[in-house]
Amino acid sequence: MLEGVLVDLVPYGKAFLENERRWYNSEVYFWGTAGDRAVFTRAQVERWQAERAEGAERRASTSVWFGILTKDGKPLGDIALDEMLPHHRVALIGEMIGEPEYWGGGYGTDALLLIVEYAFDWLDLRKLWLSTMGINARMQRAALKVGFREEARRRWFWYADGVWTDDVMFGLLRDEWPGRDALVERLGLRAREEV
Amino acid sequence: MFEGTLVDLVPFEDDYATYLESWMNEEAWFRAHLWDRREPHPEDAVKKYIEKMEKNERAALIGYQTKAGDPIGGLIYDHEWSRVRKVEVTFFTGDSRYEGTDEVLDGLLMLARYCFETRNMHRLDAMSLAFDEARIDALRRAGFVHEGTLRQHIRWDGDYVDVELYGLLEDEWPGYAARIEALGLQASDLEPKPKPEKKLEDEKALDEKILAP
Ligand SMILES: CC(C)(COP(=O)(O)OP(=O)(O)OC[C@H]1O[C@@H](n2cnc3c(N)ncnc32)[C@H](O)[C@@H]1OP(=O)(O)O)[C@@H](O)C(=O)NCCC(=O)NCCS
Repeated sequence: MLEGVLVDLVPYGKAFLENERRWYNSEVYFWGTAGDRAVFTRAQVERWQAERAEGAERRASTSVWFGILTKDGKPLGDIALDEMLPHHRVALIGEMIGEPEYWGGGYGTDALLLIVEYAFDWLDLRKLWLSTMGINARMQRAALKVGFREEARRRWFWYADGVWTDDVMFGLLRDEWPGRDALVERLGLRAREEV
Repeated sequence: MFEGTLVDLVPFEDDYATYLESWMNEEAWFRAHLWDRREPHPEDAVKKYIEKMEKNERAALIGYQTKAGDPIGGLIYDHEWSRVRKVEVTFFTGDSRYEGTDEVLDGLLMLARYCFETRNMHRLDAMSLAFDEARIDALRRAGFVHEGTLRQHIRWDGDYVDVELYGLLEDEWPGYAARIEALGLQASDLEPKPKPEKKLEDEKALDEKILAP
């Protein structure tokens, strides 16, 4: 649907749902939920998926979900706009790559560029924000690369592996966005052979 | 009733429910609910809101009033989160004569007291529109620490306005008694307002219903 350099953003369908149990029962969940760890049974994951499917219509006006797919068709995870408020024209971005061997490879940044462009150019949003644990260097790095600015640091907001960590909040205003092409160029994102 | 120094916390019902029909359509309400879309709240929406808060185990709407029993407004905690022992707090000064008074500050202190000393929270989150000086002043005096600014985050009357974020940690809370002692609160001694009339009508209607065969 949205074509990037390393990934495409596509409907979050069956190919992604099939991986969720594995993704959520791994280290990914800890980072994705900012400190939670869980051991989900197959039945729990299925119930959760059914609940999400049921609520999809109700959430349609406040969120948009994409699957992140590599260029050779491997489902990597999800990226979403959430808590969209048309009166303020803001939305929260959430992102999760379920395959740790792909972390740090530029995939998350590429997906982020795509969803920012989509939010500004198609949905006419005005400001995007995201928040992550103080210890999540990858998410912070990816946000800064895309042009987000740090706006707040909420102290001891998350509890992760027995210690308190801050919540770092980032914001990007539409006036500050030079456009996706300019950033792809500046960051030197280039298509590559799959890992 | 949960007794404070200048104010007491009381169930949000009876006169409060009547007052809320106007309060929920006034400036103080919208400032306290800065994410929400500004829209009119007819009586049934007000009633639904009160019911929703009553049923919500992670949130509460609490009335606060002077020692003479004059209702001031509401104290709210929301999205209580047990894993991280954190909760969002806000308040509104329904009776605008009390804006910026120590009664409102005591309301906020009582809310913090309840969250820390009863509900065992670790952290309170609060936020304010950048221009809402009365709120920012109350948060500061209560001990909240400024943690950042969400730039141009909220559409407000034709402008995009910054949102100031505040937090208060368990370790920074010396206890209600110590905080009160340090602050030396002054009662504003405002004349209690007359009771709302609407209430009497409701009671009459209710009596009639009960008396009807
Ligand atoms: C956060 C996430 C989406 C980022 O995607 P990604 O593909 O890993 O990110 P990228 O490779 O595009 O960019 C990450 C940057 O962090 C850097 N980085 C990686 N590991 C790092 C570390 N331990 N310390 C500091 N920087 C690090 C990378 O080098 C890269 O920066 P660079 O390009 O300047 O070198 C992805 O890592 C992920 O899904 N993680 C697990 C779930 C999660 O944390 N979600 C976010 C919840 S808020």
